[in-house]
Amino acid sequence: MGLTAQEIQKKIPNLPSIGLILGSGLGDLADQINSAVEIPYADIDGFPTLTIKGHQGALVIGELSGKTVVAMRGRSHYYEHRDMKKIAFAVRFMKHLGIGKLIVTNACGGINPALYPGALMIISDHINLMGDNPLIGPNRDDEGPRFPDMSEPYADSLRKIARACGKELGINLTEGIYTAVSGPYYFSGAELKMVRYMGSDTIGMSTVPEVIVANQIGLEVLGISCVTDMAIPESLQPLSHEEVVAVAQQTKPQFIALVESIIKHF
Amino acid sequence: MATQNTEVHDATAYLQKATGNKKYNIGMVLGSGFSNLIELLQADLVLPYGEIPRFPKTNVKGHSGRMHFGKIGDTSTMIMQGRFHFYEGHDIRTLALPIRVMRAMGVETLILTNAAGSINKSFVPGDLMIIEDHLNLSFSNPLAGTDPTKFGVQFPDTSGIYTPELIALGRETANSLSLSFQQGVYVFTTGPNYETPAEIRMMRKLGGDAVGMSTFPEALAASHAGMKVFGLSMISNFGSGMSDQTLNHDEVVATMETIKEKVALFFRDLIAAI
Repeated sequence: MGLTAQEIQKKIPNLPSIGLILGSGLGDLADQINSAVEIPYADIDGFPTLTIKGHQGALVIGELSGKTVVAMRGRSHYYEHRDMKKIAFAVRFMKHLGIGKLIVTNACGGINPALYPGALMIISDHINLMGDNPLIGPNRDDEGPRFPDMSEPYADSLRKIARACGKELGINLTEGIYTAVSGPYYFSGAELKMVRYMGSDTIGMSTVPEVIVANQIGLEVLGISCVTDMAIPESLQPLSHEEVVAVAQQTKPQFIALVESIIKHF
Repeated sequence: MATQNTEVHDATAYLQKATGNKKYNIGMVLGSGFSNLIELLQADLVLPYGEIPRFPKTNVKGHSGRMHFGKIGDTSTMIMQGRFHFYEGHDIRTLALPIRVMRAMGVETLILTNAAGSINKSFVPGDLMIIEDHLNLSFSNPLAGTDPTKFGVQFPDTSGIYTPELIALGRETANSLSLSFQQGVYVFTTGPNYETPAEIRMMRKLGGDAVGMSTFPEALAASHAGMKVFGLSMISNFGSGMSDQTLNHDEVVATMETIKEKVALFFRDLIAAI
């Protein structure tokens, strides 16, 4: 038997109010957390562990910009297990630890030509093309509604704070739509054209399941994408996970400064 | 685990015995807000799904889950009050089961009703939409992973899945009652969350007019089994991002209350004309 949320709450001096899910190459943000208590996913009862190289899995709980946060360093992806319930579990677990707000981050491909490798984008909305949904199955009405509204999946109020922080820091922040696909293969040119036609600015393999669950259980959500490669169908280059992580690493200082500033203003 | 062939056989054998081997011409599935259509039926028999061997159970508020047998006018009809949804966690193949049972009970025409959100900008809540076609955006369908040849052909054609003659008959029937209606393409999603504004805009670009979480699996199973299909959506809410209101299930049910009597007359006349 691993640790429960209640047992973890007893190990930490303050309960976290903000959750952070750190995407590919963005896990180092967890190093900025002070007085950190680190709990490997494997030690937590029911928590999905990671199978992909470069994703170290642990909850890091401590102080960041004067707030108590819980960061997921590394996330479980749908393509690892085709089990949406595992992804949902992590979000519900953080809610049980005490969070009311969730910052979801990811590395993604840019479809909108105005983007560029290294660009940071506030997610304004999303399209679920994963062909699955984390809320399928019996609903626990005490956790959230059977049919959650998704008219504002990313809270306007948090996006406003993020924009202001970006401006203050001189970061060129754009806003746009993120489309999630199951992966793990990178989309073909024809598929990218389709996703562009559908109205999306970026594409990736995460975030949407977590945001659906977060909305259902009443968390306020902010989404930040780090564009690590351009997925322009007409000029597609071969892409590797190593390149994605490398660009995310380069963007790291800006990304960390942005998230720290946002948390300060929450 | 029993094959669906066995499941259909067991359920049908039970129902044939319970109904005294009566044949039924029309099958109906009542969606959210269409429950009052049950009043059209002179019922001989009502069975909770739980009493029918091999039937799954529904667990959604407002979907009570009973099979009714009787007559609407002179037409022998069986009605599913409450349906099985993919988002409940059923294997999507399970959604074909009751439809195949209805076919085995003699049903030749299946009438599907649902509540749907608007995509088309000219639709408003309270509008009726005759379904002319669908888009399956669920990435799943009830025929894959089974042996469909037990119930129909291996590769079913869906070019006229919503039977054109029934669409025409539906239009005539509505016109004769001065019941205004729309016609359009129904988008099927898994749910259970409502769509995001970006998803609604995407669906509009793809050619959708209304969106919901049912009907497609049943229509496909029915058409595959050789049944004619008529589908009617009631627009219960604006698609996400199309108005300032947030969406909830209680609003859906409330909207439907306002036009349900006229809809009942529509189905009474449609069934008489089939």
